[in-house]
Amino acid sequence: MQRTAEYGASQERSSTLAVIPAYNEQHNIMQVIQEIQAVSPTVDILVVNDCSTDATSMQVRGAAGVKVVDLPCNLGIGGAMQTGFKYALAAEYDYVVQIDGDGQHVPREVAKLKQAMRESGCDMVIGSRFLDVESFRTTWCRRMGIKFFYLMFRALVHTRITDSTSGFRLYNRKSLALLAQYYSSDYPEPDAIVLLKKHGLKICEVGVEMRARENGISSITPLKSPYYMSKVILTILVSCARPRR
Amino acid sequence: MPFGHFEKIQWLGIVFSLIIILSVIFLVRERLLKEKYSLIWLLIGLFVLVVSLFRGLLDAFSDFIGVYYPPSAFFSLLIAGAYLLLLNMSVSISNLKAKNKAVAQEFGLLKLRLEELEKEMVKSDKGNSQ
Repeated sequence: MQRTAEYGASQERSSTLAVIPAYNEQHNIMQVIQEIQAVSPTVDILVVNDCSTDATSMQVRGAAGVKVVDLPCNLGIGGAMQTGFKYALAAEYDYVVQIDGDGQHVPREVAKLKQAMRESGCDMVIGSRFLDVESFRTTWCRRMGIKFFYLMFRALVHTRITDSTSGFRLYNRKSLALLAQYYSSDYPEPDAIVLLKKHGLKICEVGVEMRARENGISSITPLKSPYYMSKVILTILVSCARPRR
Repeated sequence: MPFGHFEKIQWLGIVFSLIIILSVIFLVRERLLKEKYSLIWLLIGLFVLVVSLFRGLLDAFSDFIGVYYPPSAFFSLLIAGAYLLLLNMSVSISNLKAKNKAVAQEFGLLKLRLEELEKEMVKSDKGNSQ
């Protein structure tokens, strides 16, 4: 296969692109990159800087072998990630692995995602915090939320998903081609599950270890979580009702 | 008796609707407002104008739908119109947002590509000069 595609006419490359969406992650991002490079030195890395107001972009530009897309305005995690899909598609990568810039995803665990994709032939593999619950202690309230989404996905798209909002994912060409076209801005992760299933693509999960975030704060506070949940539910229901395109 | 004696409120309505209609026409002429969006505003202006000119119309209408207080019927209709207009605006904003997103993404990707091409040019320049 010839690989002098539109973006990136580089020499020999790996078939996998690691996409790191990042918004104001100057304290975490370098560690993420170093960890990825330590685990798999050959993997190509693309950081999508979602118009950070801190030194995220500058820091990353100092790293060797990392490409950076600076978005001109803040598009949200969905828009940033979709930029990565578009890049990967144009540069003809076979796989994309999404690793968040905040350091909660453990690059060492990518091997598990790859193995799961090889063995199951799935088009998207989700790294789940909750499948092997050893590493994740969580509140009762949150467990109920997880259970709820599990049942919801089982009823709506007949798929067993324990961690529908996890962004730690591996995509093959088929799924990233679809997501390069349609990827919602607000709650893209659960939405993508429905979209892929509707197009007859296969999804599976594999248990992975995740870290609590080291710097910065989670966007979901206890006060906001019912609000968050209802918006996610609405997103899922709407995407189920959407006709296949 | 439509053109007989006008109440003050009718004059007010007539002046107000004429201001709307003339503003819309002016804005479209100056290309400050798209034709697409002008239609609904013109219709609202015309509606206010017609209702102001013919008082009996509003009375007959409110009688027909069973509203005892004719101004209420008037307000309901206007509010319904405003809702539709706002919905229309939200659709337009969503549409713009989607387009804006696509443009921003393409912009970021092109900038990366430009940077890479520049790097390669510098590299090959060095190679030539040696």
